Amino acid sequence: MDLRDVKLRARALLAPRQAERDLRDELAFHVDREARKLIDEGMAPATARARAHARFGSVPLVADECRDQRGTAFVDDALRDLRCAVRSFAHAPLASATVVATIAIGLGVVAVLFTFLNTFLFRTDRVPDVEQFYAVERLQPGTDGQSSLTRADFESLRRDTSVFTDAYAAVSGIDLRVDGRAMAVTLVTASFFDLVRVRPSMGRALTAADDAPNGGNPVIVLSDKGWHRRFDRDPDVIGRTVLVGGVPFTVVGVMPEGFRGLVVGAPDFWAPLAQLGAFRPNQRGRESSAVVEIAGRLKPGVSGDSARAQLRAWSANAPASTAERRAAAAATIDVLPHRGTVPRPMEAVMLFAPLFIAFGLILLIGCANVANLLLARGVARQREIGIRLSIGASRGRIVRQLMTESLLLALVAAAGGYVVSRLALTGAVVWVVGMMPADIWDVSLNVPAADWRVALFLVAAAVASTALFALLPALQATRIDPVRTLRGELVRDARPGRARNALIGVQVFASALLLIGASIFLRSGMASSQYDQGFRTADTVMIELVNEPTRTAMLQAIAADAAITQYAAVRPGMLDTLPGLATIGQGKTPLRCKFVSGDYFGVMGVPMLRGRTFTPAERDGAPVVIVSESTARALWPNGNAIGETFRLEPDRPSEGQPEDQPAFSSHLVTVIGVSRDVTGSRFTGNKPGVFMPTSLDAPDTAAMVRIAGDPDLARRTLIEHFIKIDPNLGRIVTMRTVARLEKVFLTIAFSIAVALGALALLLTVSGLFSVLSYLVAQRTKEIGLRMALGAPSRAVTRLVLAQTARPVLYGLVAGTVLAAALATVLLSTPFGAFISPIVHVADPVAYLASVVIIVAACVAAAALPATRAVRLDPMRALREE
Amino acid sequence: MPRNDGLPPGTLAMLILRILARGPLHGYGIAQRIRQLSSDALSVEEGSLYPALQKLLLKGWVKAEATVSDTGRSVRAYRLTPAGRKQLEVERANYSRMAKAIALLLESA
Repeated sequence: MDLRDVKLRARALLAPRQAERDLRDELAFHVDREARKLIDEGMAPATARARAHARFGSVPLVADECRDQRGTAFVDDALRDLRCAVRSFAHAPLASATVVATIAIGLGVVAVLFTFLNTFLFRTDRVPDVEQFYAVERLQPGTDGQSSLTRADFESLRRDTSVFTDAYAAVSGIDLRVDGRAMAVTLVTASFFDLVRVRPSMGRALTAADDAPNGGNPVIVLSDKGWHRRFDRDPDVIGRTVLVGGVPFTVVGVMPEGFRGLVVGAPDFWAPLAQLGAFRPNQRGRESSAVVEIAGRLKPGVSGDSARAQLRAWSANAPASTAERRAAAAATIDVLPHRGTVPRPMEAVMLFAPLFIAFGLILLIGCANVANLLLARGVARQREIGIRLSIGASRGRIVRQLMTESLLLALVAAAGGYVVSRLALTGAVVWVVGMMPADIWDVSLNVPAADWRVALFLVAAAVASTALFALLPALQATRIDPVRTLRGELVRDARPGRARNALIGVQVFASALLLIGASIFLRSGMASSQYDQGFRTADTVMIELVNEPTRTAMLQAIAADAAITQYAAVRPGMLDTLPGLATIGQGKTPLRCKFVSGDYFGVMGVPMLRGRTFTPAERDGAPVVIVSESTARALWPNGNAIGETFRLEPDRPSEGQPEDQPAFSSHLVTVIGVSRDVTGSRFTGNKPGVFMPTSLDAPDTAAMVRIAGDPDLARRTLIEHFIKIDPNLGRIVTMRTVARLEKVFLTIAFSIAVALGALALLLTVSGLFSVLSYLVAQRTKEIGLRMALGAPSRAVTRLVLAQTARPVLYGLVAGTVLAAALATVLLSTPFGAFISPIVHVADPVAYLASVVIIVAACVAAAALPATRAVRLDPMRALREE
Repeated sequence: MPRNDGLPPGTLAMLILRILARGPLHGYGIAQRIRQLSSDALSVEEGSLYPALQKLLLKGWVKAEATVSDTGRSVRAYRLTPAGRKQLEVERANYSRMAKAIALLLESA
């Protein structure tokens, strides 16, 4: 093809109108001239024109041949198909709008998910070679996976072992107030920044000198988030100081946007680990015994297994008091791939796969709907198609035209899907942020951006779904006998019926799957929302007192605050407990323990059932305990517990105890009271069984206070007051928030499930409705005949309902069986274990309810068409045909 | 759909090229000229002229340009390109070789 050729074709393509006009003019000129010549020769004008035309032949045919010669026939055809498609949509705007909306919704929900996945998978800020990172953990026996490695261990590991090219230690998740603002800090050794190989965008990262043990520099490196939140992206931030616990820290660097370390949520800033004392005053002076997370890059050629073996040998030689403990320490050390919370692409795909299936089912239902609609239209168009086939149009040509129509629909739907996904995402983010209690974090969630990948995905998904929903009807519509069609015999073939039934089955199957999932979640959510934590949450606030030197001043402020009506001591945190053992005779019973002051039961509204609470004189170490109702029943099934004694021991070795958790020594205690059960967290089911006395004067205790009036308002005033005493004050959290936070994640998961289920049901019902209405309309003649022959209306109703009963049944059975199978698989995964206290997967009521709902919905969808069939006037129906 | 023009295949293109060799002409003119020159012996369905012209355009043997006809109407005229001129020679040579071969065959058989 030479250049001229290209130019000509391009002209025909780009300026089809111009080319068409030229052609038309040229041919008209020819005929005109011929006619004029004949007139000049004396012929009558009308005869001359006819003669000229006859000589020339068919003008349109010649024009067609010219177009063929130009080699743009393919494009011409496509354009014609397109015009044809637009016209046919204009003829049936409602049906077309339904098709577009249905597919747009399906594409939209899938695009929402893809947008999330996109931000995970293709994040540009990931740490290079993150898969080389391995974390070292030494699990404590008897605890739920808490590591017990200290900074001293880290130094030794770095010095004495050679499994890592380099490693870092970190203490993360410290929330504190900097200049009065809640900020999150991660403390790291200077090696962290070398290891992640991400350069600061301004200033410098931490150096070894900053992190010198027993010295170092009070400096911080801001994350982009921290720079934005605290300094409003001030370009002159380097060298500025902030007050942390009254100590000035200098900003030395800012990390680039998007760098989050090895976790999804970046801290506001990083500081040298040596400065731990400034952030956790109760650990001041014993920084080297602080429990740290350790991770590093494995040396090339060192596998996870060989690293584990080396580190076990190292751990066994570490100084420990007894050989037994040393062996235990060695046995529990582990080396695991560490990627923080950033999933690898494959993992992200695996993580999202079940969601994609769930969301994709909506798209599938939508496609089935549309396919059914087009199938119906294809039958209606049999005549048109039959005529075209009989005058020589190829089947491929007609299929292509039908596909063009569908593709056009799909592309419009893709645009619609984009709008749907943006609306849904924005709505979801606003909704989630609105639900997040602002007093725990300043939550800022960005709506994930849609980039070209999302657009590409939408178009690809649209085209794929076009293939799914349009190919079958297109093939079906063209598989007809032209001769019979021309004779007016519409082919009531069994095949469209079979295809339609299959589609109905698929729809019912998909919505059964989604609806069962939704019912399970909904029922679990309802059960969980009725969860009684067993204590007051409406007007109580927890105040962490982290800075021991200011404890007295803080307590005085609490006592002086007019809004606080009552206060008590509690540790550890509100929903946490410590493991302990009750030794009675020979038996040991595991127990959950909590230190509280005598006022605790009054403040938290936990009634004492028997006996008394602690007196102010009974403080730390007093040999008295209060047990919960269920514990009392478990330990003394026949007695009343009061006055009973038992030995209470901590269920873990005292060494390797995390510094920020209280310890208690083994001693004999007497039961002085029985309280009602406190249920604790719904996730962990952390029910305290034994309460031991403490007081607010003891280190590490937090205050639980009862507030008069609005707790959120009180919380804000408390913060304002306390900052003047101690700028480094700990968390002040309303219990309402704690309770709500637990519910937030459940609510999100439940809402998504329920929304998907509802959407599935809606689409299925509307699909069934339109198919059945169409079928009734199509069988009007037959129904009229039956009724004229005296068929009772019951029989007609049955006829309409029977049309769908079988596919609905098959779909229901398949959906239920697959749901049960998926539930079984899910229960066997770690994720299943995590959600099993909340989500009861094997819930027969959920299954039954879903089946009933679907059957009811199908009957409802069939009812109106059935009624219409019964109301048919037999005579008119027969006449109309 | 190729139509039977009463002409051996490919001859129409050669005839057009031959006529255009004398100067640019519009489609109607070409048709007239073919009729005249062949003294109506060759019946060319006039409609098939235009697809043939499209083909010649594509091959680059002729060029289309806007001109004004003798009656004052604007019309597309076709002009032979150098490539077209060359092609005409090739086709003429081919044709006479074939004609000779056929004549030889007819006489000797």
